[in-house]
Amino acid sequence: MARISLKNILSGKTAESALISSLIEQLNAAVFIEDVNRNVLLGKGTAVVNDSQPVTMDGETIGWVKCNEQVPVIASLLNLMIQKEAEKKKIASEVLLLYQEVNMIFNFSEKLAQTIGQTSIATITLDEAGRLIKSDNGLILLWDEDSNQIEAPASFGKPLFNEEKLKTHIDLLLSISKSGQSDIMSDLSALQDAGLISPDVQSLVYAALKVKHRVMGAIILARAEPVQYSAADLKFLITLALQSSSAIESALLYEKNIREAKEKEEAMRLIYEVTNKFVPHEFIRSLGRDVITDVRLGDQVEKIVTVLFSDIRDYTTLAEQMTPEENFRFVSSFNERIGPIIREHRGFINQYLGDAIMAIFPGKASDALAAAIQMHQAVQEFNAERALHNESQIKIGVGMHTGPLIMGITGDRDRLDATTIADTVNTASRLEGLTKHYKVDILLSESSVHHLADREAFHLRHLGPVQVKGKKAAIHIYECFNGSNEQDLHKKLHSLPLFTEGMSDYLNKSFHEATNKFYRALEIFPEDKTARLFLGKASHCMVEGISESWTGVEEIHSK
Amino acid sequence: MEQKILIVDDEAHIRMLIEQTLEELEDEEVTFLTADNGEDALEIISSEKPQLVFLDVMMPKMNGMEVCRRVKKELVLDDVYIVLLTAKGQEVDRLKGQEVGADVYMTKPFDPESILQKARTVLGLV
Repeated sequence: MARISLKNILSGKTAESALISSLIEQLNAAVFIEDVNRNVLLGKGTAVVNDSQPVTMDGETIGWVKCNEQVPVIASLLNLMIQKEAEKKKIASEVLLLYQEVNMIFNFSEKLAQTIGQTSIATITLDEAGRLIKSDNGLILLWDEDSNQIEAPASFGKPLFNEEKLKTHIDLLLSISKSGQSDIMSDLSALQDAGLISPDVQSLVYAALKVKHRVMGAIILARAEPVQYSAADLKFLITLALQSSSAIESALLYEKNIREAKEKEEAMRLIYEVTNKFVPHEFIRSLGRDVITDVRLGDQVEKIVTVLFSDIRDYTTLAEQMTPEENFRFVSSFNERIGPIIREHRGFINQYLGDAIMAIFPGKASDALAAAIQMHQAVQEFNAERALHNESQIKIGVGMHTGPLIMGITGDRDRLDATTIADTVNTASRLEGLTKHYKVDILLSESSVHHLADREAFHLRHLGPVQVKGKKAAIHIYECFNGSNEQDLHKKLHSLPLFTEGMSDYLNKSFHEATNKFYRALEIFPEDKTARLFLGKASHCMVEGISESWTGVEEIHSK
Repeated sequence: MEQKILIVDDEAHIRMLIEQTLEELEDEEVTFLTADNGEDALEIISSEKPQLVFLDVMMPKMNGMEVCRRVKKELVLDDVYIVLLTAKGQEVDRLKGQEVGADVYMTKPFDPESILQKARTVLGLV
């Protein structure tokens, strides 16, 4: 009950005080106002007064008005003022209590707003509940709708529930956390008989955690003392539960969103990785883009590159002996060996065309040549394995040419493709085709040879000019035989000076000398099919003669 | 010694709540004065020289910042302890409050406990 001090009303500068003083003056009467202890608070002089009226508040005397009979009105006025003041104070103190509650809820909301995890929210909620509602035990139960399981993310005090029994009485617990109700439980016998809660518990209150109609769980508080929870306690707990519920709901949504975002990110990463395998990153980078999603129709760049073509010799014959599935497995197993070699040498595979591979080396021409040599070594290893399984041996031919190349994105709005357009590609492809004609492993154009920075590192043989189908100008071609097996390599090197001279004589139309040199070269290395080819050509020219227009350019009409 | 606390807020319920919060100080010879706008507040501060002022920032006529500035910078009433009250979420005012010379800064909704504690400390009634 709000206290009213008569002294405070009459002293100081209150309107009440001014009004009473002015009234006493106008009545011109002797009036004394005393507090309950007979101390004079208002009035002066020594006039005799014959009446004494009490000033009361809620029946309790808090002072006296001493005056003559004609002025009891002052006492009535004072009583009225006191009553009004008391009512005002009473309302004010009730409002203050409400305000404290608002303040508490405000602070609680603020704390919740700064909290993310479901467990942290549960902990904060239970802390606040335990602080505001005196309890010995507290527990938050959350019910997982999907798994139909109950978990307790926060608790305090002695364990409220017997965990062992809990498992066998999950239905009973579910009935609390799923009920969606909030209540004070006075009869705990059912729970205690089941051994579910400690026999110490005397009073229990619980509030549902729910959002709209979806029940998530409950907050439970318990006391060991036989003091029942009040309706105000329940109201408070429900308020906390309401706030907490939406925070938990948000936390769950947040966690779900994070999880989904991570899954999406992972899916994107996988797509990115796979796309990278379809369109090499080097290709994208050459176009001045970072990622494939940046690529636009019409993007293009022109560069001097070395294009390498590789093909499995007589693949058609080989393929005929295999089922389509065996075929696919064979090509895959071959490509798996070649791909890494290309990348190791800073090239990228632009296209797999069945058994053929087209690779681009944006850097040095020697990268491409080194890759081609290693490819032949890989084929030798592959053959060694195939021999163990009684499988036929394979041979590959590699052609390469260095020149300008346009890489770009072609297609239409809905179907894009990474394409290379250039004569360089055609020439490289033609050279690959010529390896069979010249009986060599690797053929490179003079342009590639000119671009070799470290030419001495490679064993090259000049094979003269050639006019390939669809080309006007003839190009000089070279064989690289670094990839030959050790025996052949040795013999080829040994016969190289004779072969070179023979080629020079042949192109100079000294066919007799040429025939002689090629013959001697073959004495050193009888299996040299290329030397045998040129021996045949030189002796043919020597015996049959040549036309005036003869330039030594080999004309190839087949692809 | 009689001490005075001035409560300034344009909202009647806030004035009443602060007064109610500080009610027990009446027994220790503390008088409460109230004002519902900045101009009146400035006048009362000049004439009554209260020891403590709870001053709302957002008010019509003259806002709390301005009242505070005039009291501290123009009238140079260093013995008047000024508590600036601002709605939560407008904490940017804190710096401005320091600039105009406020002694301390509290937020609304206020915590009754800390308001009472602050008054007791300032008035030396611990």
